[in-house]
Amino acid sequence: MEAGWRIVPLAALAFAPAAYATEYLTVEAAQRAAFPDATAFVPISLALDADQRTRLAAVAQPPGARDPRVWRAMARERQLGAFYADAVIGKQEYIGYALAVDATGHVIRLDVLEYRETHGWEIRNERWRAQFVGKTATDAVEVSRDIANISGATLSCRHVTDGVRRLLALDAMLGRR
Amino acid sequence: MIARAEIWLGTLVEIALPEADASETRFAAAFAAIAHIHRKMNAHDLASDLARITRAAHMRTIVVDAQTYAVLELALALARDTDGAFDPTVAKAAISDDSAPPPIAAPAAGEFASLVILEGDNHVRTTAPIALDLGGIAKGYAVDRAIAALIDSGAGGGVVNAGGDLRAFGSAGWVPVRVRHPANAALAAHLFDVCNVAVATSADYFRADGVLHDPRTGSRRTFGASVTVVAPTCALADALTKVVANDSARAAETLARHGAHAFRLEPCDDSVRATTTCAASTSQLRLAA
Repeated sequence: MEAGWRIVPLAALAFAPAAYATEYLTVEAAQRAAFPDATAFVPISLALDADQRTRLAAVAQPPGARDPRVWRAMARERQLGAFYADAVIGKQEYIGYALAVDATGHVIRLDVLEYRETHGWEIRNERWRAQFVGKTATDAVEVSRDIANISGATLSCRHVTDGVRRLLALDAMLGRR
Repeated sequence: MIARAEIWLGTLVEIALPEADASETRFAAAFAAIAHIHRKMNAHDLASDLARITRAAHMRTIVVDAQTYAVLELALALARDTDGAFDPTVAKAAISDDSAPPPIAAPAAGEFASLVILEGDNHVRTTAPIALDLGGIAKGYAVDRAIAALIDSGAGGGVVNAGGDLRAFGSAGWVPVRVRHPANAALAAHLFDVCNVAVATSADYFRADGVLHDPRTGSRRTFGASVTVVAPTCALADALTKVVANDSARAAETLARHGAHAFRLEPCDDSVRATTTCAASTSQLRLAA
């Protein structure tokens, strides 16, 4: 043992799945923040053909990418822009986010709507799972806000950047309507 | 607490304010402070101060943003204080792994303190072309700036958490902190609670090739352990994690000098071995039972 260090009793080390979930903004709140002058948000149903999907995939393929939800932000008859709600799903995290784009295709704002840290990784890894079963993993899997702060959460948010690039390509594809 | 999140500094930055203090104006001011640090200190952005230093500071004195200057001052003081165990000069390492803009020439690693000359009034020059990576301190510094912005805005308390580098103040009170398992980031243990203080952790959970840069060998290496530091400011906590990782034998003394404590988690057989420099709970750090 090096000078000045002491051992932390094992009892203090109750490792449990880092399950954690927070909703930061609802879709509606993010829409209002992005387009305060909007009088209506009109949902658009996406009907992408195979060629469009191939082109989108060439731009970026964020993990877990599905078709985003899309709205047109309207101020009476005038279209202010488009609002996209999308999610990227990483090895152990789920990030729901919203992108607001003006009528000229420029980003107005990007909001993180929701962050969920799953324990999917741990569950898939049987060896690791077996190691902790009986200690803590069984009774602490419920998602809780009680202990929100996890130090060392250096998750890369590169996937969100990929997601945004994909949405901007989609926005260009949908045209200025 | 009401929380908002944005993506800055390559990570999820969460700001939480007590309900009575939460306002969109305050959230926006705190995120703006973080965005500013992101723009000035992102070495990959050619317009950033770091890129400008690499391009020109060896030929002429350049003027940088006051925040960049403050971080350089802090980095320089820590580099001297730790005999190079903290060193943001990464030119040598960057050549081999492409994770930073290519430097014009490779200086000897660990030379930060003699390479960078701070002339005062935000003027910086270097004695050789160098590439700096303030990733080991800027994220913590950004958290500190966000806290300052919240205090300036009149908020009575709050928590700012940039991908695990966090700081709590005021009416946020005691904040429980979980630290990830050093070999399985999907698990975390509640090690302590903090109050009016900052916490940062360094480890390589999410990179197979290692995130820690050893200034004295110039190489990146996998570390296999995690280091968590509790310190008065988040910049200090962030930077001191690298000092502990590189020189744990002498770290206890350095930590004490800065009013900081460290926790080190290492996988050991089928368990985790945890060591700490914290002998007992304090008014800012309460050890979990």
